[in-house]
Amino acid sequence: MNSEFNELLNKWEDNKKEIELSTKSLNVLYDKIQKKEKENYLFYYGTITILLITLIVISLFFYYVAPVKETLSRIGVFLMISGLIFRILIEIISINKARQINNIDKTLKTIESTINFHKFRKTIHTVVAPIIIALYTIGFYSITPEFSIYIKFWNLVLINVSYVIIGIILFLVIRKGVKREMQKLKDIIALKNDIIE
Amino acid sequence: MKKSSTVLFETIYHKHKPMVLQMCLGFVKGDNDIANDLLQEIFISVWNNLDKFKGASTYKTWIYRITVNTCLQHIKKKKKERTFPISKMENITAIAKNENVTNPNIQRLYTAFGQLKKIDRLIIMMVLENQDYDNISEIIGIKPTNVRVKIHRIKKRLEIILKNSNNE
Repeated sequence: MNSEFNELLNKWEDNKKEIELSTKSLNVLYDKIQKKEKENYLFYYGTITILLITLIVISLFFYYVAPVKETLSRIGVFLMISGLIFRILIEIISINKARQINNIDKTLKTIESTINFHKFRKTIHTVVAPIIIALYTIGFYSITPEFSIYIKFWNLVLINVSYVIIGIILFLVIRKGVKREMQKLKDIIALKNDIIE
Repeated sequence: MKKSSTVLFETIYHKHKPMVLQMCLGFVKGDNDIANDLLQEIFISVWNNLDKFKGASTYKTWIYRITVNTCLQHIKKKKKERTFPISKMENITAIAKNENVTNPNIQRLYTAFGQLKKIDRLIIMMVLENQDYDNISEIIGIKPTNVRVKIHRIKKRLEIILKNSNNE
């Protein structure tokens, strides 16, 4: 086995000599580093920014454009806004967990952090997201009675039907997300087992 | 980043790039495009974490750790999904031509590595890079005795794979 292994070693060393350096590739790398920094920034703050803008727009809408008066409607607005705030908090926690995955740690530790992250994502998809959608939906239908006084019947039907369609799309998106997270988790756990076996 | 860090980064890059690229090639069964993607990801990680290097190990061990972690976390992209701006294509084609000259022998070796488990591919390549049990243990995070057992198993498995490929 030793002589065969030495042969491997020679092949390995010979090939390494063939891999030449190129200054061009370093320039490409610097471009890529800049691009990656932008991508990371978008990854970390993009979703939070979108959610914050949505929160501000909805809050302003209910404060200036359609200030609801009935208690049921106010509870509805509260549920919709709290659902969004909850979603933003979850996103911040998720980003922190993603940041804990550090490539400079020992492999086993990195894998454990990755498992924790994906377990958290799975919980978001299976528990948190449905709760937020439920809160939002209850809130939405709680303000509908008061809205029906000011909005034409068919417009109201249109709003409600489109909400159901959006709900179905969200359901499909969440289901896809759960499947993806489950597969990733399965792969990473298998990898961890390969390491510790 | 400071100029001194840039100089350090470029020194590290030039010194360790052949080793990293070869490990990436071995990990992805000799696929030049994916290996180059991985190489870039690894050095982006090196760049981003350079100020976190505490000197507890050598730069080489530190880079191995980043290489192993990046390879294991790499999500295989479909070639057709990868798009490059036209301006970058020339450079990338030049790199591919210049840097990844692989002979049939080494391609056979990469193919053989491809039949090992992902972590085993990386461990055996570290052995080929003359890393000792303690170093590999430090990189992976398992005991040196476990590393020794693993290496023994991997060598045996690799021997069988190479013998079979010889017979084909």
